[in-house]
Formats: sequence, structure tokens, C-alpha cells
Amino acid sequence: MTDHSETAVLGNEAAPVPRHSASEIAEHELIQGSSLWKDAWSRLRKNRLAVASLVIFLLIVVASIVGPWLVPYNSQEQDLFLGATAPSAAHWFGTDTLGRDLLVRTLEGGRISLMVGLIATVVSLAIGVIYGATAGYMGGKVDATMMRFVDLLYALPFTIFVILLMVAFGRSMWLMFVAIGAVEWLSMARIVRAGVMGLKKQEFVEAAVSLGYSHKRIILRHLIPNVLGPVIVIATLTVPAVMLLEAFLSFLGLGVQPPNASWGVLINEGQQNMEIFPWLLIFPAFLFALTLFCLNFLGDGLRDALDPKSAKD
Amino acid sequence: MSEHHEPGVRIDPREDFLVLDDVHTYFDLGTTLFTRESKGVVKAVDGVTLTVKAGEILGLVGESGCGKSTLSRTIMQLIRPTSGRIFLEGKELSALSDKDIRHERINFQMIFQDPYASLNPRMTVLDTLAEAIRTRHPTAKGNALRGRVAELLRTVGMNPAQMKRYPHEFSGGQRQRVAIARALATEPKLIIADEPVSALDVSIQSQILNLLKRLTREMGLTMIFISHDLSVVRYIADRIAVMYLGRILELGEASQIVDHPLHIYTRALMSAIPQPDPIVERTRHRIVLQGDPPSPLNPPEGCNFWPRSPVEHDERMKHEEPVLTEIEPGHYAANCPFCLQEA
Repeated sequence: MTDHSETAVLGNEAAPVPRHSASEIAEHELIQGSSLWKDAWSRLRKNRLAVASLVIFLLIVVASIVGPWLVPYNSQEQDLFLGATAPSAAHWFGTDTLGRDLLVRTLEGGRISLMVGLIATVVSLAIGVIYGATAGYMGGKVDATMMRFVDLLYALPFTIFVILLMVAFGRSMWLMFVAIGAVEWLSMARIVRAGVMGLKKQEFVEAAVSLGYSHKRIILRHLIPNVLGPVIVIATLTVPAVMLLEAFLSFLGLGVQPPNASWGVLINEGQQNMEIFPWLLIFPAFLFALTLFCLNFLGDGLRDALDPKSAKD
Repeated sequence: MSEHHEPGVRIDPREDFLVLDDVHTYFDLGTTLFTRESKGVVKAVDGVTLTVKAGEILGLVGESGCGKSTLSRTIMQLIRPTSGRIFLEGKELSALSDKDIRHERINFQMIFQDPYASLNPRMTVLDTLAEAIRTRHPTAKGNALRGRVAELLRTVGMNPAQMKRYPHEFSGGQRQRVAIARALATEPKLIIADEPVSALDVSIQSQILNLLKRLTREMGLTMIFISHDLSVVRYIADRIAVMYLGRILELGEASQIVDHPLHIYTRALMSAIPQPDPIVERTRHRIVLQGDPPSPLNPPEGCNFWPRSPVEHDERMKHEEPVLTEIEPGHYAANCPFCLQEA
């Protein structure tokens, strides 16, 4: 093929073409494009509520990770003579009935709660996205079979499912990850499948098929990146949902076991003595609620940023 | 007027570049949930026999819903034909397995109608083109690959410095140029352009048409150019096929179709094109068809054009299946006696 640069002045919409050979194009001469991700990020940055939520959430995460090392108490060290004391200069959040420092327990509880939230979400994301994309792309009988399996799992009552797991395998945190992950990926798979089915009819997917790309390549390079917008939003909203589930399980005594603490465990302990030692409930509950608020606002902000058409204003 | 000619289109699957041999593409709508009655079969492509010569541009015209997009996707093997055979350079595409067809696909590429939907919005032009180039040159990488992308962009009249941009940063015309570059990236022999200009501004249309015409000539490509607009097709095509309700009604050299169309349907289409000269325009005699094209779900029997025919006809038209017949050298028309009579 010859160099057609002289014919490039076909139309006024075509930019002028530099007259040199291909190998001479240096990186710095290339006009850097702005990806849809970059555009979304710049929109998100303009959303004050979302940015504030992101900052507060990150602060809570950092405090939970680093905090326990900075507080001069051990979360499991009991001081039975001290007992429950109100917040003071020595114990900012007070102490619980066994004389343990509540600040360090709340921060460590946050570690576990956040870890459960993030790990279970990542697991549900990985399974749900691959599963949903495959079902949606393959269609037909493969899709029908795969989605009936999802329906089947959906139909299992979650609490009974978890209680059965606990009875069968004993209580452990890892089992809780499995239980929560097994439930949360279902909605993810459905959302991704719906997105992929919509995309599949678009011409760029037909073009990818025409180019002879493999199914794997089409799913991974052409379909999944295009459903990632809604997936990120759902993932952001799944984290608080999972944390709530963990709190619910721990509250029932099925989740994290004392002396380990999670926000759910702490709230459970707090509500037992709510009338006498209210700080035992107030501090963990406040931090937990704040985290949930932040993640929900962030999810809303991400949705508006990633899909500007759906934004209200 | 057709008695002296052998009905049917002559095909030679070994010699001709692209051959469609009695291709049917039906869509079964399935059965109803409880009564198990058939919901019917859409006969989108209903017996198309056609050859395309190497190096030519074949224009395929028809109203929306006539099956031209389905036919293009059938040739592309995006939809497998219900029956009939398709040969490209003697190789029967319609007989290849899904796995084998993947490796053949680099030889025939498609340009789509909507440049806003035909490019992956998450990939830069560089990524899109590089990925397509690697289907032909799997080991290409680095500067050589980028150089080839730059060359392709220049070929379609774009500035290679824009290769790191995303589709949403371009106009419709520029995107269509990228889509053309992507089709060229695999170094195909056949390109099917499905309404490549109908989504573009009129001012951009002629640029893209000229580009396609020039590329076909310079690169020795063969093209099937699909459009609902006969005035666009007659500008670009060497030969023209007129499609109606899943069948070809007329086929011939562009000049034959434009200057003396035989079938009443083609004549009606031709008469609908406005003339630039106001004096000619005033005397333009329009052949007005009745109603809309019937549903391909229950296409009419016989000459499927009878429900809309503006000429007088009797029951024979509803029962006798016309066959595409060579009326004059290279000029074929469905041999329905009513449709072929002079107005």
C-alpha cells in the first residue's frame, strides 16, 4: 500500500496529515484521548457530596487499618475492676463491661467489617461478572440453564442457608465470606447478563465477531469493559449491603465470634446495656451508619458520573 | 419478451468470486407458550442467487425491511443461511463450522451503518485497529504495529496523531473512516458496506462514498454496497441488484438499471428520485406504488409484488412464481409478465 497522505485532504473534517512516514510518529506528537473513565472521574469530582463521602470513607478505612496500632490498649485486654466507664481522656470511646477500651475495639471491628464487605464484594464481582457475561453472550440454552441455577440459589432463604452452613461446618469467618459471597454474586450476575444482552446487539460486537475474535476475547475486551460502569456502581452499593449482612449475622451470633469484634458484634453487645452504658451502642453504631451513608452517596455519585444521561440535573 | 431466455442466474461456484446459490435465511419465531402453535417464520431472505465479480462494486438496493441487512449478515456468516450455499473464491463458507469460519473471516469484512455504535467506546482508535491488524499479523507489535495503524489512518484520510483518541471524540464521518480502516486492517478481499452513509450528514456522505470508491479501485477490493437510496447506489456501483421482500427482482449493469429499468418496481424506485433540473423535474412521471411492503412473516404467493402493483393484473400473478431471467445480456429481471410490461 502506498502513502495516501496526498489524498487525505478529501474533506474539511479530516485534519491535515503530517507528511512523514509512520515510524517517525513519536509518542509526544500523539494527541492523548480522554477515555470515558477519565470523563467520569472529572464529573465525579464536581459532585461535592460524593467527594466528601469518598474522603470520609477513606479516613474511616485508614483509621481502621492504622488506628489499632496507635491506641495504647489491646482490644482483648480485660480490666474487670474498671468495668464500663464513660468516655474520658484515657478512653476516648469509654470502656465496655469487661473494661476493654472501646476505641480500639471499634477500630478493630471496623477492620473486620470492612474486610468482610470488600472481600465478599470482590468475590461476588469476580463470579458474577464472568458468569453473567458468559450467560448473556452465549444466550439460548446455555443462558437458560445458567440463569435457572441462579434463580434456584435466589430462592434459598438466606438465613436458613447460613444457619445450615454454620451447623454443618461450624462457625468461622471464612464460612461467612462463602455464605455472603454465594448470595451477593447472584444479583451481580443478573445485572451483568442484562447489560451484555443489550450490548450484544450493538454493531461493535457484531464487528468483533466479523473480525473472527474468540468468544473469550469478545467477552473480556469488548463486553465486560462496557458493562463495568453499572457494575462499579452496584459494587459500591454491595459493600454496605454485605456489611449489613455481616452485622446481621453477628448480631444473631452466627457471624464473627467474641472476643473478636466487628461492628455487628459491638452493636449487639451495646444494645444489651443500651440504657445503662449508651456509649457502647452509640460509637460503633455511629461509625457503621456513617460508613454506610458514605458508600451509598458515593454509589449514587458514581452512577451519575458514569451514566450522565441518568443524572437528575 | 422473456421467452427466448433460459430462466435463472448463471453461476459457477468454482470460477466466480462470490456466489450466492439459492440462499434462504428464515427466522423461526418459535411456538406459543401453551397451545404450541407456530408463531410463524419470517422469510427475510427468500431464495437469492447472485454472483459478484472480483473487483466490482455491487449495489444492493431495497426498501427497509426487504432483507438486505439480513442478506449482508448472511454473507458475512453472522447469521447462517437456512438453506442454500455461499462461495467465496470457490470455498464454500456456508459449509464451514463455526470454528473454521473464524479463520476465514479476515478475508471478508463489513462496514456498519451506525458509526456511533460500531466502534467499541472503551477502546482507542489505536487499540481497535491494532487488534484488527493482529488477526492478519498475529506477531505484529510495537512500532511496526503502530506504523501500520498510522498508515491505515492516512489511507482513510485521518490524522495518525489522533490514534490515541476514543470514538466519542470524533464526528460521525471520522468514526466511519475509522470503521473503514478497521475493515481494511485485516486486508480483506471482500467488503460488505451496509448503508455506510445513511447515518451521516449529506455533506459527509459524498466524502465517504468517494473514499470507498477510491479504496475499492486502489486496493483491488470487491464490495457489496447496500443502501435504500438508489441515487447513492447508482453513483458508486458497477452493477445493481434490486431487492424486494427477500428476493432479487432485477439485476444488471448500473447503466442498464438506471437508464432502462425493466421491472415495474425498479421503475417506480427510479421515478422517485428527484431530478436536479427543474424542467426535467416538472415532467417527471412518478409511478406510485400502493401501500407498504407486506410483512415477510406471510409473504404473498406468486410474484410477491402483486399487492402493490400499479399495473393491471389477474390471478396468474398471484400464483406463478417468477424467476430471475436474463432479458438482455447481463440484465436480469424477475420474469413476471405483469411487472415487465411497458407502462
